[in-house]
Amino acid sequence: MSEPAGVDAALGFMRRLREGLDAGLEFPDAVARGAAALPRDARQTVQRAVRRLEGDYAEDEWGFDEGFAELVEPFFGFLYDRWWRVKVTGARRVPAHGGAMLAANHAGILPWDATMISVALLREHPLPRHPRFMVLNWAFDLPWVSVFMRKVGGVVASPYNALRLLEQEQLVAVFPEGVRGIGKPYTERYRLQRFGRGGFVEIALRAGAPIVPVAVVGSEEIYPKLADVPSLARLIGAPFFPVTPTFPWLGPLGAIPLPSRWRIEFCEPIETAHMGPEAASDRAAVLELTERVRDVVQQALYANLVRRGPAFI
Amino acid sequence: MPGRRVLITGVGSYLGTLLAARLEREPEVEAVIGIDTRPPRAELERTELHDADIRDPGIARLIQTAEPDAVVHNKIVRQPGPGMSSRAMHDINVIGSLQLLGACERVPSLRSIVIRGSAGIYGAEPHAPQFLDEEMTRLFPLRTRFQRDVAEIENYFETFSRRRPRVTCTMLRYQPAIGPSLDTQINRYLSQPACPTYLGFDPRVQLVHEHDALEALLAAIRNPVRGAVNVAGRGTIGLTRMIRLAGRPPLPVAGPLFAPVTRAARRLGMSAYSEDFRRLLRYGRAVDIRRLEEEVSYQPRYSTVAAVQDWIARRHEARAA
Repeated sequence: MSEPAGVDAALGFMRRLREGLDAGLEFPDAVARGAAALPRDARQTVQRAVRRLEGDYAEDEWGFDEGFAELVEPFFGFLYDRWWRVKVTGARRVPAHGGAMLAANHAGILPWDATMISVALLREHPLPRHPRFMVLNWAFDLPWVSVFMRKVGGVVASPYNALRLLEQEQLVAVFPEGVRGIGKPYTERYRLQRFGRGGFVEIALRAGAPIVPVAVVGSEEIYPKLADVPSLARLIGAPFFPVTPTFPWLGPLGAIPLPSRWRIEFCEPIETAHMGPEAASDRAAVLELTERVRDVVQQALYANLVRRGPAFI
Repeated sequence: MPGRRVLITGVGSYLGTLLAARLEREPEVEAVIGIDTRPPRAELERTELHDADIRDPGIARLIQTAEPDAVVHNKIVRQPGPGMSSRAMHDINVIGSLQLLGACERVPSLRSIVIRGSAGIYGAEPHAPQFLDEEMTRLFPLRTRFQRDVAEIENYFETFSRRRPRVTCTMLRYQPAIGPSLDTQINRYLSQPACPTYLGFDPRVQLVHEHDALEALLAAIRNPVRGAVNVAGRGTIGLTRMIRLAGRPPLPVAGPLFAPVTRAARRLGMSAYSEDFRRLLRYGRAVDIRRLEEEVSYQPRYSTVAAVQDWIARRHEARAA
């Protein structure tokens, strides 16, 4: 009886790696030599990992690392297909070129909604591109989280960043509810909070970029927040300390999101270019447009909640 | 503008010497006057050298008799060298700038002052916008001694340029420099056997190549603009990627242990880390250089990544030779 091919290949790899090291090769060279006889997929993966260890990968000026984003794609793909069974409508409404702003509802302390919007666009859009998303500042204080966020396209939630990204004709996802959105108790799910003071609309007006309202249904059930412990939140410097059915009772396992069913709808874009950049200083116009975006997202949320049916099955 | 007279402080630094040598070759520059306590790094042909300390009030008379129309302030210490206390560094930076400005008050021929300042004034902040522009110095509190010193220096120059509107003060805010000839904190950091990093952090850093560091000074002397201007290479580089390109192993150290570990490593002969540099390794910093490109009209030749690659290539050449 012969061993399965995978085990055989792995043993061969280890043997050649050791021979290479014994022959006095540097570690990366020995790995590359060991990988020479592996099956093609595995060989490519190993070679890519070696190249990354030598610093041979590209990051743009924001720290976005496309190679890394591709490397973690299978994980997000699994969440998208199996865990949350995401259904997407209206992806074609997102402009294929030029700067545009996606304004979505927000929930959950980890920006799963942003990553699912990314996957939705990469999968469903005829001319896919990686959106950049605004991440709650707090995440950039945290080890690993900060690195991960910037590598997959997250930036500090600052109007300066949003404006620069739009000027570079990028797709920017913003969550105007901000921290009020992610701190909502479970009973208030899908009830949109105030959209700040309309800062995001001001930026879109100044850049002349269209605003695409986005409704994400499902994200507000993944961490059902039952209570808040402000004293603990202050202790760790977080905006709030959620108590959910699984957190903090199960420790780190409590960070696993619940498998709700998701729907993402990209609504009709709202053009701003015709209003001109001067409109950004017109308070009334900004607040009116903010309210309009909020209204579109809220209506789309209700419609998709009905279409989705039960949350978990 | 023919017959220009340029005075340089800190002419004994590598960049100061190079600047004097370049100005000597410009036909419209009538005279170059150099001040430092150290001798220049290379032979200079027609620069008038003066052995003087800018902390000393005596330089007022010296500058008055030199009658410069441009002053380049290149004597701002970024990290204390061997045998220099942080107290001496503070004195050179703050008291030195104050004495220099006092002297400049009494020079009627003066038209412009160019200062080789530091982007360290912005600090290194996790929540800062990814590209800081010149207006954003007050977004966060000043956290380190060097940051406060730089802020104080900038304050003196602002007050001076308000009082003397005929003199154009250009505050160049330099990102850390890298280059084969310089001895900078970044060069020393990347030359260690292993590079300590903060466990779980991989910030974006932004550097300026020594070529661009010099050319930006020259551009600002030719085309002085009022106020602060950021100086850096285009783009950024992830700290880990930079260390790997340099062929060094990153050595992740947990946050609270970083300062004690690097202090202990210093006793073993590794380089010292100022508080500013530690924050830079943790959170990084990048600036917007549109003002340099559009108003000073200087386009840096090296992007941050190219500057790092050039430094690595030159080091390999030096080893091979």
